[in-house]
Amino acid sequence: MNSLTTYLIISALLFSLGLLGILQRRNLIGMLISVELLLNAANLNFMAYNRFVSPDPVTGQVITLFVMGLAAAEAAIGLSIILALYRKMHSINIEAAQKMKG
Amino acid sequence: MENSGLNFILQAAFWGTVALTVAGAAIAIFPKNILYNVLGLALALTGIAGFYLFLGSLFVALMQLLIYVGAICIAIVFAIMLSRPLHIEAPARPTGKVLLGILASVVFFVGAVGVALKTKWTPAAGHVYKASQWSVEHVGDALLTRYELVFEVISLVLLVAIIGAVITAGFSRRISS
Amino acid sequence: MGALFRDPVLFATVLGTNLPFLSMAVILLFTRSKPFVSSRISVCSIAVSAVCAVSLLVRLFSAPALQYQTLWFSSDKLNITFGYYLDPLSLLMLTIVGIIACLVQIYSLGYMAGDPGYSRYYAFQSLFAWAMMNMVIAGSMLQLFIFWEMVGLASYFLIGFYYEKWSASQAGKKAFVMNRVGDVGFFLGLILLLIAFGNLGIPELNHAAVTHGLPQGLLTVSSLLIFCGVIGKSAQFPLLTWLPDAMEGPTPVSALLHSATMVAAGVYMFSRIFPFFSASPDTMAVALAIGTVTMLLSSTMAMVTYDLKQVWAYSTVSQLGYMVMALASGGYVAGVFHLTTHAGFKALLFLTSGIFIHEFHTNDMRIIGKKGGRKLKIPMVCMAIGALALSGVFPFSGFFSKEAILTVLASQPSKIWYAAGLFGAVLTAYYSFRLIFHILLPKGGIEEAHHEEHGASSHEHEEGHHGYIFWTMAVPVMILAGVSLVLGFTEHTLEHFLMRSIQVPGELVAPAAHAVSVAAHVAAGGAHHAHEAGSPLLTILGVSAGLLGIAIAWFEYGRKGASRNGFLSYFPAIWKLFDCRWFLDIFYRKGLDTLVYAGLTSLFTKNDRRVIDGGIDGICVFTEGSGRLFSFLQSGMLQFNLLLMVLGAGAAVLYFVI
Repeated sequence: MNSLTTYLIISALLFSLGLLGILQRRNLIGMLISVELLLNAANLNFMAYNRFVSPDPVTGQVITLFVMGLAAAEAAIGLSIILALYRKMHSINIEAAQKMKG
Repeated sequence: MENSGLNFILQAAFWGTVALTVAGAAIAIFPKNILYNVLGLALALTGIAGFYLFLGSLFVALMQLLIYVGAICIAIVFAIMLSRPLHIEAPARPTGKVLLGILASVVFFVGAVGVALKTKWTPAAGHVYKASQWSVEHVGDALLTRYELVFEVISLVLLVAIIGAVITAGFSRRISS
Repeated sequence: MGALFRDPVLFATVLGTNLPFLSMAVILLFTRSKPFVSSRISVCSIAVSAVCAVSLLVRLFSAPALQYQTLWFSSDKLNITFGYYLDPLSLLMLTIVGIIACLVQIYSLGYMAGDPGYSRYYAFQSLFAWAMMNMVIAGSMLQLFIFWEMVGLASYFLIGFYYEKWSASQAGKKAFVMNRVGDVGFFLGLILLLIAFGNLGIPELNHAAVTHGLPQGLLTVSSLLIFCGVIGKSAQFPLLTWLPDAMEGPTPVSALLHSATMVAAGVYMFSRIFPFFSASPDTMAVALAIGTVTMLLSSTMAMVTYDLKQVWAYSTVSQLGYMVMALASGGYVAGVFHLTTHAGFKALLFLTSGIFIHEFHTNDMRIIGKKGGRKLKIPMVCMAIGALALSGVFPFSGFFSKEAILTVLASQPSKIWYAAGLFGAVLTAYYSFRLIFHILLPKGGIEEAHHEEHGASSHEHEEGHHGYIFWTMAVPVMILAGVSLVLGFTEHTLEHFLMRSIQVPGELVAPAAHAVSVAAHVAAGGAHHAHEAGSPLLTILGVSAGLLGIAIAWFEYGRKGASRNGFLSYFPAIWKLFDCRWFLDIFYRKGLDTLVYAGLTSLFTKNDRRVIDGGIDGICVFTEGSGRLFSFLQSGMLQFNLLLMVLGAGAAVLYFVI
């Protein structure tokens, strides 16, 4: 079943799971994990398109590499924010962080 | 392909990878223990690395293992250890929120699958699939010629992110102590 | 550019008219803090301008009218040209303006000495000279209008020169606003002409009026509207009260702007498009009535005031009324001739008054008389010459021009205009000599003690009489006195000179000679009348009117044991009426109060408070409320927001896919 549609459906499934995690987890680290899932789903899409339809065999790989780099940066920043937040509020529950309420 | 036995093995391996990935993703999402989540994430990321292999890019698969499984998951484990005492029980999940989340995810999934199925995908004019073109040489060549600027910018972003992470974590410690 | 240097006439025109602007720019930009340099720059540039004007007059004395023009912009049927029109009338006026402006600026060197706004004064004087000269030689009515407004602006600046003084700034505003009232009419008239005729060139306009190129109704309406501009600028009947108030400015300014040149701009414009005006008999009749009313009203006002400058201001208004009367009854040459002579002797009168005011620091003729005004011999003689010219006594210039006007008036079918003119002449002589006698033979003699009390100040005066300041003021005055003596004898030359420009349209219509050629005939005939048929009787009447006025003044103020009160003091009501300027100002004030302040302003206030403020408040309330409403969305729950976003995006995807 090596076809583009298979990969697309798999990545959609991963993405939906990540979305579900982001929407209902209250643990900030859990949300971060879900974000990683989302990014990977997108990466998988890029690679699949690169393999099946792209005219240039390199672009998709390069984009995937870049997204990985960005994910590393995002993880570093996100984790340090979580740490800072934990020191401040002694909790990493997202529902506790409501200081910006309008 | 020409060899049906090999083909069958490949198919089985592919679907095994699919099962692995989806199971890992489910573990990453559903259990309440955060440590299980990280392990599930590592599993799912490894599965995705497997997909990259199936797609023909050994290099990217290795990178996936190196960066995601090797670095990011470890960083998350560190964050867990630094932040949260594991024994504290989280309050029960509100049902409404879970249901709404599921609804949104399902809507998105249906939409995305609809797009994937309804579109008639045709390869672009210049599309060729040759394993030699997926080699590390080609990727490295592209990174240092066509995508050189992006490459530099990414490294700059990483530098800024590291400095930012240090400052965010470090300053808040100084403020709180 | 090449043509500019190859053609000496054009070069002189451009140089002469624009040099003052250059000097204004230099003064305002660079030398504002150096009064000495500023004044010399200004005087030098105006002197060059005057030389240019005179040389142009001499060079083009017997040449045909010259026209330089270039298309400024055009659209469809509309052609706006920009250029110069040098005919006898504009050359004459250019010379008048140049010479008098030059003399007044020299005079101001002394009069304004030590004033903190010395540089500013010269900058404004230069601005005025530039605007006025450009207005005079303008080739089209639109160009004339532009510089007409510039002249008004300069007038506003100079009236309000002592802006720290409340009354001066008020007077400036009054003059400006009243002028605008007239100018609105002027501008409407121009627009009407532009729409109907499509060309505002002065020669074209005159030519079209002469050849019946314009429908009679349009002609009448537009010329009446344009006449509004004359009313405003030349202080004619309904809008005459700004001119006396304009005397708040420095005296040289009054001499230059508010008697000799600027206020004459209205009359100049009248004569500039004289054929156009005279093609409409209705307009001419209205103008004649307005001129007469103005002349009489302002003469009566001048009979009761004790303020030196006010007397000459009223007198200016009445003389302008004379000019309008002359022009309106077809006396083109008479009107322009009176404009010329009046510029000379009225500038003379104002400048001599300035010497008195500078010396005694008061405007009241009684106090000047008591403090020994007659001891200043040069100004006293010069003022007497000016007053004689104003009253129309024989060898002086006023005699000739006033005779010309009276002759034209006498040729009108109705004799009432002539009678009014004669009566005005009596009043003119009366009020001028009332002033002269007040200073010359003050009530109760000169207070010698007063002078000796202030030894220091009298010593100062002694110096002043023979010092630099006195002579810078006295020399221009003496020049003007000389001009007033001889100018009258140039009447014939001037007449031939001027008739050249007006005969052009006359010849063009030769076969079906009508409106304007008639007017031109009247003009020519009127001027000839003075020295041919019927002239002895008219001359005798005119001279006797002047002498009668002088005699009444002598009887009341001059002779020994005279009451020195004036016969009007026996009628307090009339005195009050004249003194309050026929209640015109009060009438305007009441009208303004009821119409503008009670009516329009309160409406605007209500509009501002209710509609605009209310509207803005409403917008504020709405914004605040909606902001409050939307702030509910900002629940602080990150996942809730995300949920909404994903649902929205998912719904969009579903919509487009399915």
